[in-house]
Amino acid sequence: MIKRAIAFTTLLMLILAFGFTQEKSPNLIAIKGANIIPVKGEDISEGIILIKDGLIEGLGKNIDIPPEARIIEAKGLFAYPGLIDGLCFLGLSEISSLRSTIDYREIGRNNSQLKAVEALRPESVHIPITRANGITAVLVAPTGSLIAGQSGLIRLVGWTPEEMIIKSPVAMHIAFPSIPRRRRGRETAPPEESSKRIEELKKILNEARYYGKRKEAARKNLLLAYPDFDESLEFLLPVVKGELPVIISVHADKDIKAAIKFVQEEKLKAIFFGVEQAWRVAEDIKKAGIPVIFSSLYGMPPKWEDGYDGLYRNPSVLHKAGVKFAFSSSSSSLAKDLPYHAAKAAAFGLDRKEALKGVTIYPAEIFGVDHLMGSLEKGKVANIVLADGDILELRTNIERVFIDGKEVDLSNKYTELLKKFKKRN
Amino acid sequence: MRFKKHLSFICFFIALLLLASSLLARVDPAYALVNCKIIPVSSPVIVKGVIIIRDGLIEFVGPAEKIAIPEDAEVIEAEGLVAYPGLIDAHTNLFIELPKEEPQRRRGVGMAPQEKESGRYPDVMALKLLKPKKSTMESFHKIGVTTVLAAPGKGIFAGQSVLLNLNGEKPEAMVVRNPVALHINFSTARGVYPATVMGTMAFLRQSFMDVNYYHSYKSFLAKKPKGIKRPEYNPLLEALFPFVLEKKPIIFTCRNQEDIKRALRLIDEFELNGLLGGVNEAWRVAENLKKAKIPLLVSLHFKPPYTSIYVNQGEEMKEKSEKEIYPANTAKLQKSGIKFAVTSYGLMKADSFLKNIQKAIKAGLSKEEALKALTIHPARILGVSNIMGSLEAGKIANVILTSGEIFEEKTRVEKVFVDGILFKIKKPPKKAKAAALNITGKWKGTVSGSMGELDMTIELEQVENEVTGTISSSFGKWEISDGFLSGNDLTFTISAEIMGQSMEMEFSGKAEKDLIEGTITFEGGSAEIRATRIPEERSQRREP
Amino acid sequence: MKKKITTLILGLSFLFIPGFASGQDLLIKNGTILTVTKGTIPQGDILIIKGVIKQIGENIEAPKGVKIIDATGKYVIPGIIDSHTHIAITASNESSEAITPEVRIRDVLNAEAPAIYTALTGGVTMVHTMHGSGNPIGGQNIVLKMKWGHPSEEMIVHEAYRTLKFALGENVKQSNFFTTTSRYPQSRMGVNAIIRREFLKAKNYMEKRDRYLKAKKSKKSSKNLIPPRKDLRMEALADVLRGKMVARCHTYRADETLEFINLSKELGFKIACFEHASEAFKITKELVSEGIGISVFLDNWAYKIEAYEGIAYSAAYCTKKGVLVSINSDSSERIRRLFNDAAKAMKYGGLSEEEALKLITINPAIQLGVEKIAGSLEVGKHGDIAIFNEHPMSAYTRCDMTIIEGEIYFDRAQYLKEREEMEKKKKAEKDKKKKGGER
Repeated sequence: MIKRAIAFTTLLMLILAFGFTQEKSPNLIAIKGANIIPVKGEDISEGIILIKDGLIEGLGKNIDIPPEARIIEAKGLFAYPGLIDGLCFLGLSEISSLRSTIDYREIGRNNSQLKAVEALRPESVHIPITRANGITAVLVAPTGSLIAGQSGLIRLVGWTPEEMIIKSPVAMHIAFPSIPRRRRGRETAPPEESSKRIEELKKILNEARYYGKRKEAARKNLLLAYPDFDESLEFLLPVVKGELPVIISVHADKDIKAAIKFVQEEKLKAIFFGVEQAWRVAEDIKKAGIPVIFSSLYGMPPKWEDGYDGLYRNPSVLHKAGVKFAFSSSSSSLAKDLPYHAAKAAAFGLDRKEALKGVTIYPAEIFGVDHLMGSLEKGKVANIVLADGDILELRTNIERVFIDGKEVDLSNKYTELLKKFKKRN
Repeated sequence: MRFKKHLSFICFFIALLLLASSLLARVDPAYALVNCKIIPVSSPVIVKGVIIIRDGLIEFVGPAEKIAIPEDAEVIEAEGLVAYPGLIDAHTNLFIELPKEEPQRRRGVGMAPQEKESGRYPDVMALKLLKPKKSTMESFHKIGVTTVLAAPGKGIFAGQSVLLNLNGEKPEAMVVRNPVALHINFSTARGVYPATVMGTMAFLRQSFMDVNYYHSYKSFLAKKPKGIKRPEYNPLLEALFPFVLEKKPIIFTCRNQEDIKRALRLIDEFELNGLLGGVNEAWRVAENLKKAKIPLLVSLHFKPPYTSIYVNQGEEMKEKSEKEIYPANTAKLQKSGIKFAVTSYGLMKADSFLKNIQKAIKAGLSKEEALKALTIHPARILGVSNIMGSLEAGKIANVILTSGEIFEEKTRVEKVFVDGILFKIKKPPKKAKAAALNITGKWKGTVSGSMGELDMTIELEQVENEVTGTISSSFGKWEISDGFLSGNDLTFTISAEIMGQSMEMEFSGKAEKDLIEGTITFEGGSAEIRATRIPEERSQRREP
Repeated sequence: MKKKITTLILGLSFLFIPGFASGQDLLIKNGTILTVTKGTIPQGDILIIKGVIKQIGENIEAPKGVKIIDATGKYVIPGIIDSHTHIAITASNESSEAITPEVRIRDVLNAEAPAIYTALTGGVTMVHTMHGSGNPIGGQNIVLKMKWGHPSEEMIVHEAYRTLKFALGENVKQSNFFTTTSRYPQSRMGVNAIIRREFLKAKNYMEKRDRYLKAKKSKKSSKNLIPPRKDLRMEALADVLRGKMVARCHTYRADETLEFINLSKELGFKIACFEHASEAFKITKELVSEGIGISVFLDNWAYKIEAYEGIAYSAAYCTKKGVLVSINSDSSERIRRLFNDAAKAMKYGGLSEEEALKLITINPAIQLGVEKIAGSLEVGKHGDIAIFNEHPMSAYTRCDMTIIEGEIYFDRAQYLKEREEMEKKKKAEKDKKKKGGER
């Protein structure tokens, strides 16, 4: 009897002791006093965001904060959802002139078997620099071939590639011809005919369709010859079934129109990337219901006739036509500049709120992860950025970043080197 | 067996050539062109006049009343025709065959600096590089050009040009003046200094400076040979003496307005006797040119240079500039009061030259000025105005007879006199049907006649009705010119060359999809040709 | 020869001297004027007469016939100066040899390059167009005003220092080419050795000339004396040694930068500025004590291994330590975003608005030797001005007008109007075609 009593008391004491030493629940955080820009819904001045187990438990002007919650004072700061990059090469490219550090290109024409996330380097110096500017999730994609491969959405924190993956594959990447650039002293090459590529693509997709159908038929009938494994077609099966969307890099107005026809004829779920001359065919894109991802706005318009501000005007024209859009950095070393592409579009006619959506909720919707991220809403993942001003502004400092409800270290190669050499000077 | 075949062929041709050469030793007839309208250029128009040509010179130009037709003159009835001075194309690189490109010098390793290599030396003579082709000459005659300045094309110091009268095929007989000028291009070398135009400018400046230095060194040495080390002989600098020291003419070819400015700076800095060629953008710097008073040889090549603002502002603008803006170059120069010659430099065919002259006139160049720019202006600029450039007694008999006013669409050049030698211009077939097929490609043919058989490979290229090409056989490569395919009727001229002697043969026959059959006729005989098409080799398929 | 050059220059000088030939009159009214050196005027006017700023203040009365620009709600800053570009030229690097100081960028100008217009859309009025970085000793650079539509000789800024391009590191070693090359030098040792060699050769050249002149003057018979040959390459380096030209050196790594400073001291030439200098933050001590400025990217980095330690904080940090810093574009695309790059120096390093603006105005002007005529809005300086619709340090800003010496070279409103007309014309043509088809 006594033995039982002692055991019970010890147990009780342990529980109480545990209770005392356990000050606050690490998984319960309340960000207090920030001006909340949820992106969906009204802004909340000096509100509260409650985070529990990595998700947003609640947000509002006056919500109850559980006593065990860790309080983060955020008066005077602005709370934004973590920004989402529509396409970049973070983790796949370290030094652009050193081939040994580049892993987003492969040789070959049909590389549908490649998965970008399998080449990620979590220790890339560019990742901490990028998340230190408020970007919390990015799409990493392969490029360079006709069918470049499968992209994936990753979070900008994690020790291993697996820990970084949010969703893979997100889409299959296909390239339409690019517009040849004028080079000093040389004649510009004539633009490649997209019809040739479309023919090639249709052939491959048809082969994939048949391959899939044959597999299905053979599964039901033992006597029918089962097709040999064909790597070039196997990974296209979800594409032709309409389950996996394609992201098509397309640039010239004629090619965009041809691409629209192509995806409609092939019954593909599509997103367009690049679209530098989309403003010329905005109505067609809207009618087709295809969302677009802009490539970096740090580029010259492909043709003089597009006007010096061709790329800058593009987003506002598409938005007015009703097309859904997202911004991208299309970079690794300059992925941190994602918000400034959005701001540049705002400088040239895009509504500022829409610009913010182009780096938050719109990419989330386009990639099918808007139930997880893209805005500050109850139930979504707690990717939260605390900034001392407008997150799209150049001089704004990012004070704190949370990914999946956990605060991330904002130190990076820039800050480390500065610290080191401050000691010398 | 084969040797016997060839032997009979050779004998046959030698016989023909002996016959032909005996004909060449004749004295050229004197001609009297009567009843034509005469535009002498340097004096007023003569409504109905006479031109008397003897011994390669003009004996008389004037109204019919003023002269009696000489007894020995062959009378050429020219009623309804117009007589002009033979046109002068003052800058062309046609007729020149360039030596093969020298293999690039590999860059050396080690501390020693590279030797500056910049193209050929200035003493390369166009005369030595001449490869006059009958078809080219005829194409110039067809548009009324009797005289050309043949200039070497490549290299910074490209060489020295020669002024030719297109009177036949022997280069020496064609020379009017040699050399005429040193040609300088702002070109660059690949992989060797200078590889950029700024390097070329530095190289030119250093070269001109060095000429002066080298010359003064040598003069110093000449005065006091003892005790002074001789300078190393420098062939480049020696070759430049006439142009930098004696101020013989230098023609700078300018591809764009900046080249013009570069040339003007060099001419000014080193007090050169400079002329500018190319200059199809001259109107952009008309003020500078007017002030500098530099003679211009304006090319009627309308393609805008890649540096031009018109090229970088969209496709539409680029096309517009080639169709409207650049053709108006000469018109604008005329308006600025600048005198110039027009040339075919940059154009590949004489035909295009005429077309572009017409375009330039349409764009605003006056017809009179166009004529002057092809006659008296180039004659003056090239320093031969005392012997050509207008129809005057005593000048060289370069005369053309046209069916109407020169440069008009319908006007044809009917007869051409070069150095008093008459050339009749072939009339194009009156009714030309569209070509029934395209005979471009390689053909395997046999010529058979009284002298035996000869195998040959024929390479043809057809653009619309016109056919050109080559015939290769054991005798070498012969040129096919003046080819015309109307329906299935094929005619062309073969410029044969057998052991250094040239001869013309005319082909007339029919062309089908894979078979060409017909007759070739030449002085003294004829032969049959039969050729079948050689199928295209299938290109290798690559593994994906 | 010299006489000829002087007469040429004098003869054409009326074309060259800016402000007298092409300068125009303009009055900018009611904008927020950021003078850069003399503070901000919240609602101010600037009067430009014959291309030169005559008056800055409030409520300036417009003289008769002077064009007026209404800058209400807009920001007026000095025209931006990009101190390192390769625009408006048809060739940038004489790569056939490693040492080419005799070549001059002014010989390959192209006034019709579209990049000039692009620069204007970014508020840039003056650029330092340089020889490329492929040679340890490159060519002679030039400073140009972006006078789009004018002939090339009218763009040259003659007040600027004469500068010679030097380069160190990977580019001159040609180590990033697709195939290996065989042009010496291929190592950093070789780069320093070749620069030393050329300067010693130049010194030798100068000495020979001095000896000749001395011998000529001496009583002993000089009849056997041949003057030394004038060599354009050696003359260029001699000018650097004489102080008539200053060195602007492309460098990345801190170690090679320091070694170049040593070389300059050993050989006796002046370095005006280091280009790129991505590791400058490591050696601010030396840069300050030597008085050498830097012209850098704000955050373009990691494209080569030698640029792998370039940090975005460098520009601001070096500024705070007392180094004269300017920001450049080295790109015909980035040239239109220099003001965005300058703004980043506020985020990465905490510079104030004014300090950030200096990075693209007065600082490059001082480095180029044109601070008397450009770089800030002060009476007596040229009327080179850029007008923005938002504060130039905001990400939402856009350049609406660019003015050089009182003449408007870029006007966004005009540009939009022309585009509208062009679109209307195109539509009318399309409709005509349709109607023609219907018939």
